[in-house]
Amino acid sequence: MDLVRAEWTKLLTTKVGYWLVAVAALMAAGFTALFTAFAGDQGGPQGQGIPPVGTEAYGALVAGVPAQVVVIAVVLGVIGTTQEYRHRTATPTFLVTPRRGRVVVAKLVAYAVVGLVLAVAAVAATVLVATVYGGARGGAPDWTGDTVGTLLRSGLAVVVYTVIGVGVGALVRNQVAAVVGSLVYLFVVEGIIASVPATADAYRWLPGGALAALTGDGRGTDLLGTWEGGLLLLGYGLLAAVLGAVLAVRRDVV
Amino acid sequence: MEVRDLTKTFGSVTAVDSLSFTVEPGQVTGFLGPNGAGKTTTLRMALGLITPDRGTTTIGGTPYAALPRPATRVGAVLETAFHPGRSGRDHLRVYCRAAGLPARRADDVLAQVGLTPAGKRKAGGYSLGMRQRLGLATALLGDPRVLVLDEPANGLDPEGIQWLRGFLRHLAHDEGRTVLVSSHLLAEVEQTADRVVIVGAGKLVREGSLAELREESAGTVLVRTPAAAQLTAALTGAGAGVEPTGPGALTVTGLTTEQVGAHAFAAGVELHELRARTSGLEEVYFRLTSGAEQYAATGGGA
Repeated sequence: MDLVRAEWTKLLTTKVGYWLVAVAALMAAGFTALFTAFAGDQGGPQGQGIPPVGTEAYGALVAGVPAQVVVIAVVLGVIGTTQEYRHRTATPTFLVTPRRGRVVVAKLVAYAVVGLVLAVAAVAATVLVATVYGGARGGAPDWTGDTVGTLLRSGLAVVVYTVIGVGVGALVRNQVAAVVGSLVYLFVVEGIIASVPATADAYRWLPGGALAALTGDGRGTDLLGTWEGGLLLLGYGLLAAVLGAVLAVRRDVV
Repeated sequence: MEVRDLTKTFGSVTAVDSLSFTVEPGQVTGFLGPNGAGKTTTLRMALGLITPDRGTTTIGGTPYAALPRPATRVGAVLETAFHPGRSGRDHLRVYCRAAGLPARRADDVLAQVGLTPAGKRKAGGYSLGMRQRLGLATALLGDPRVLVLDEPANGLDPEGIQWLRGFLRHLAHDEGRTVLVSSHLLAEVEQTADRVVIVGAGKLVREGSLAELREESAGTVLVRTPAAAQLTAALTGAGAGVEPTGPGALTVTGLTTEQVGAHAFAAGVELHELRARTSGLEEVYFRLTSGAEQYAATGGGA
């Protein structure tokens, strides 16, 4: 527990954590505002358009917005571990706690909670904008049943991605490589895999596919079911955590 | 602290080779060797950060990683590492937390190293000397009986070195702590250390008290005389080693300046110069470690 609190102290005594939470809230608010502003727009010839405010579909769309914040969550988690190597504080950290596995476990626990804060910020921003702006345009989502479920699952995804980020950081250690690598993977690699027919089948088994399954409406044809997706995502989180912990224990700190 | 048979190879370079030595409690031990001799690697192995290929290090009979609450037993400064955006005081509070120590220890050690006025400033803006002090403060958090310092004088200005020497002396001689301090310069530890462990190319070259080393380094005496042959005969007759080092100049080993003077007087030889070659200790250190710098460029750590 001391170690978990030490991780929180580390985060709270630098600025990056505050910035990322602020960016996450702004991002969620921005996307929600965008969706609301263009709600009811029929889109171009091939566009699917955005459902009008007040409809169930609009509610589902908006409730999935916090899931966009997983990008920030990964970066936050990655920075949480890689900053120890970047600023060489891994040396004093592992001197104080020679059982390195405990440091990694403490980071995972601490950052799961930090991820929760990030999720709450994103969800709160989404709900606020959708209620106020959506209401002003004539139809705030009614926060019940499916909509709330999607909202909560989006938040859960943010927590899991934060944990994945911690694991990735422990694996890669080089901060720039880990951040850039994660972003390239999320924005480019998964997109390509999902759109190339030969590999599209594999997409559902990737974190992105699992995320879509978890936060979508459950009707995506090629995706896993909602809870299978959620479990798969948790599995990725655990895998990253275990690999990160094992490697952190084995590697020399030079 | 006991180091036994430590060995570590990085690729084709053997950074540390079957190294064994002992650090005596309550003394300052200087850990000397040229850059690349394996000092840092040895210290990191001793503290469980690098896994040795072979060998063990125990502190009071226990390996570092198995010590309960190690921060309260051993304090180490291996590098001045901190997040530049975090204040010195916050940096210390992080490690207070992690070590399960009360947060007021952060203020205690800041005062101890004289960094209180800068405690709330970001560590990224600290001068080199302040960074070294912050590193020392981190090591002192748990009030450990044993301190391990890797090149603490590196990058310090003369005033900082002066302060560091005084501080180490105070920690060891007034407070009775065991101190192991590495350096590539003998002069840095000459005034503080009781014992020295000298390594070269990863191997132990010499272990012993500084006094022993001093005796060995009695040094040489330089003499200039117009009667070199006559003086050489007189001095070799007295058992000294004499080598001509120039026209009318001799280097004498095994005798003090007083003895050389006395022999010259007795032999009625005229002298133009008679002086002791100083820094005999440095000379011995240099002789012991010469040729051991070959790993500086490729070795793992200084």
